[in-house]
Amino acid sequence: MTRRLEWDWYSGTLPENVIVDETAYIETSFSFLLYRSEVHGGVTYGHGASTYLGTMFDVGPTGRVSLGDYALVHGARIICDARVEIGDFALISWNVVIMDNYRLPLSGDDRRRQLMKVAERSPRVLSGFRPEPVIIGPNTWIGFGACILPGVHIGEGSVVGAKSVVRESVPPYKVAVGNPARILRSING
Amino acid sequence: MAGFISSEDGRWVGGTPPGNVRLGAGTLVSGELAFKRFHSQHPEALSIGAQCTMDGVQFALGNHGRMTIGDFCYFTNAVLLCELRVEIGRFVVIGWNATIADSDFHPLAPAERIADAIACSPLGAGRPRPPIEARPVVIEDDVWIGPNATILKGVRIGAGAWVEPGAMVLRDIPANARVLGNPALVVGTTQ
Repeated sequence: MTRRLEWDWYSGTLPENVIVDETAYIETSFSFLLYRSEVHGGVTYGHGASTYLGTMFDVGPTGRVSLGDYALVHGARIICDARVEIGDFALISWNVVIMDNYRLPLSGDDRRRQLMKVAERSPRVLSGFRPEPVIIGPNTWIGFGACILPGVHIGEGSVVGAKSVVRESVPPYKVAVGNPARILRSING
Repeated sequence: MAGFISSEDGRWVGGTPPGNVRLGAGTLVSGELAFKRFHSQHPEALSIGAQCTMDGVQFALGNHGRMTIGDFCYFTNAVLLCELRVEIGRFVVIGWNATIADSDFHPLAPAERIADAIACSPLGAGRPRPPIEARPVVIEDDVWIGPNATILKGVRIGAGAWVEPGAMVLRDIPANARVLGNPALVVGTTQ
């Protein structure tokens, strides 16, 4: 069964292994252009969850992304080879990058070997290396252009300022800003 | 160096690239917008080596811009702005929405900026623009540049360096350094 979104400007369909709650909204199936997950629930939409134009699920064969209830993703690039969990009521802004994998090793020599292999592939996708799951907790708010790096956990209720780069986990109910991000203050729970 | 993996001619999926663009064997350029802002009149404006993957990259070259990219590079939706000279080595990776710019595109002095605004306006036809500073950007071999990073004019990034996502690079980076932040600072090495 192919699933087409009747309002979609793009001619694509939703991949079979994407689980969409009947109350969720997907603006366009273009968000799945780079999607390659082979696992059941490669992306899961919770009750009232939504994704809008500009959101891209760059999900590798074993990647799994979940959007909690009422989670709203308004144009994030989600790079996932293992696990990206976006909690209930999370608000994710445009040009945000959430990545659980750098997809290439740190050493220049090792990268070189990978890049020689990638030109042989079709499509030419990077894969492998070592993913570290990312958790965006419930009730969080990620400002536009922010980067959430592999292994980071954003605690419940916390806010990440626009254009911040988060490489260390943020505890619950904090405001984190800057590049690299640091905790600015607490907010009431 | 291994032999070529693909001997197919380099190509752009969006059509025929401008005449002063050279694509090496096995190089694949995708994205309708690749040359939408390509204005260079230089006879060798853009040269891309062999076995490169240029997915959704915008090659925004000004009238006199000249850019070279080495073999086995892998760029995803990068924005490359070149008014003068951008030189990129081999095995360079540039992530989604990263920007490289070798110019500020407008003058710093307020009075000159007014003149530039007029020259750039629909009423400015033929009016010369004030001089605008541009300084070459050099990215050496084996550099990794993460998504949302920015590399500004005059910067040289040393071989093997690693630029974390979102970093704002205003100064030269030594070889094999790992940098992050705004402004980007060295936090470690890749070795």
